[in-house]
Amino acid sequence: MENENPDLTSPTPAPDATGSTPPSAANTTAEAPAAAETQSAAEAATGPANSFGPRTDFARLTAQTEAIKAEIGKIIVGQQDLLELLLTAILADGHVLLEGVPGVAKTLMAKLLARTLEVPFSRIQFTPDLMPSDVLGTSVFRQNKADFEFRPGPIFASVVLIDEINRAPAKTQSALFEVMEERTVTQDGTTYGMPEPFLVLATQNPVEQEGTYRLPEAQLDRFLFKLHVGYPSLAEEVQILQGHHAGFGGTNLEAVQPILSADDLASLRRQVRQQRVEANILEYIAKLVGQTRAHKSLYLGASPRASLALLNGAKALAALRGRDFVTPEDVQFLAPSVLRHRIMLTPEREMEGGTPDDVVKQIMQQIEVPR
Amino acid sequence: MVEKLKLKKAGPGGCLAWCLLVVGYLALAGAAQAAPAPKPVPPAAAAEFRPRPLPPDRITPLPTRRLDAERLRELASQRDFRYVEPSARTDAWEAFWARIWRWLGNLFDTPTGRVTWKYGVYAVALAVLVYAVLKLMQVDVTGAFGRAGRRGQLEYDTAGENIHEVDFRTRIAEAEAAGNFRLATRLGYLEVLKHLTDGGFIQWQPDKTNHAYLTELAAGPLRDAFRAATREFEYVWYGDLRLNAALYQQARASQRAVSSLLAGRPAPVSAAIPQSA
Repeated sequence: MENENPDLTSPTPAPDATGSTPPSAANTTAEAPAAAETQSAAEAATGPANSFGPRTDFARLTAQTEAIKAEIGKIIVGQQDLLELLLTAILADGHVLLEGVPGVAKTLMAKLLARTLEVPFSRIQFTPDLMPSDVLGTSVFRQNKADFEFRPGPIFASVVLIDEINRAPAKTQSALFEVMEERTVTQDGTTYGMPEPFLVLATQNPVEQEGTYRLPEAQLDRFLFKLHVGYPSLAEEVQILQGHHAGFGGTNLEAVQPILSADDLASLRRQVRQQRVEANILEYIAKLVGQTRAHKSLYLGASPRASLALLNGAKALAALRGRDFVTPEDVQFLAPSVLRHRIMLTPEREMEGGTPDDVVKQIMQQIEVPR
Repeated sequence: MVEKLKLKKAGPGGCLAWCLLVVGYLALAGAAQAAPAPKPVPPAAAAEFRPRPLPPDRITPLPTRRLDAERLRELASQRDFRYVEPSARTDAWEAFWARIWRWLGNLFDTPTGRVTWKYGVYAVALAVLVYAVLKLMQVDVTGAFGRAGRRGQLEYDTAGENIHEVDFRTRIAEAEAAGNFRLATRLGYLEVLKHLTDGGFIQWQPDKTNHAYLTELAAGPLRDAFRAATREFEYVWYGDLRLNAALYQQARASQRAVSSLLAGRPAPVSAAIPQSA
């Protein structure tokens, strides 16, 4: 499909000639965003602009995100939209829930994305007998010192891949509440902070019912996006087969190199936070989310956290698309991913075969785009 | 021999039960033979034993019940205790309803009326049942009457102005005169959308984004011109780009280029506008 986004034709500074930025080069330009922000502020203070172009320098952001796409593209075929949304979530500092049938590379995508970030990574396979202490950590008695020592659990990492998150019962799920929202873990009266960045990538299988538990609404609300991982197209599947055949099976994860360090990511996030958002866009977001609370097909509407998620996501997406301001297009693009796991259909609507995405689409049709 | 064996098997308790049973039977038979038959009573004696009425009781004192005259008057004044036959006369309203019922009775008294009444009741009952089921299932049947296709156009927030009713020329001139280039750019873009809608190139719907309109246009000069106008509008309206006169000229020129392409004319040179903001 031809991309008709007008912003892609905007004169954004192009990435370097190789199309990817080596990690060393990315690390050495840590001061660039700060300079760009200063320049942007200076421009804003001086008055009218001289041209219709980005007032913020997104060259570094564009180069690094393109490099990540290239690295992941070495292994995964297609799924460009999914990757764009994952990058959006990373820039917006939000957790992501990946849902899809078995075998569509959910876990592989999460693992590869984690590899492109040069930060501590851990993986937890959720099982029905998993305990909260298996996730958070536990205090161990040291006989030689006659005191307790806290042994951090696998959650203490920057990128945490929780595979098949819906296989653990609510008791274990609730262990994630504090750490996902407040980025801290309180154990034995002591609160431990999480490293920056902290990103939870969780996968779940929507088909299997045996031995699975529905995630609590409070936990679902803590995910910025719930993304559907679909089947590849015919051409993509042929490409997958060709690649697999040429490589004689197996997936060489070592081929994927880290692109972003923690400092890089922090500076990119600072840049994203300074995106411009007009008052009419804020009102549009509030109307969209507010309508979920009054819709007749919905038993549970979205919380204000959903509004914030939509705003932060839209700012990150606009930056990824080379714009320094948010448009209704960004909001509409992200609305299904932000809202689908935060709303609950009425039983009647569910029996009719309706889906949350249908309702979100209806809501978007009912609200006028600010123009 | 067999009975002896059974008795043996029954043991001492069983023997005692048997004995009691036999003794009881013999006693009952003897009593029946010994009981005398009842003798018939002669008619004279029957008349002698006929019951006579008791004399009135004059010893037990009975209280005399006296009714309160005031209470009686009060009760008599109440509507519930007026046992008076209602008047046979009817007013006009009752006569009207009596006539209606009589007419209906005559109507349904014919063979056709009886059939209509019989199946009409079933039809009404069926309709009520279907309505109740549809209502319970919350099924929207308005689509069956040809309204479903316009659904997207019915439920809009109508806070925004209707682009088909705005006098763009006047309002743009006012905004330019006031130095409000941002508003003028917005009005100019809305005018472009109106022209595209009037020309049948896009389908105007307030919920659509600019990107959606862009995808509706076929590839070519018109789409390129609209893309440029859209980009500039978005920088101004969503990006809060502060315009000077030159930039405003550029934005208006892009908008006029779209309109000119729609009219089949070459793109005009930008019109002169006040330079002071």
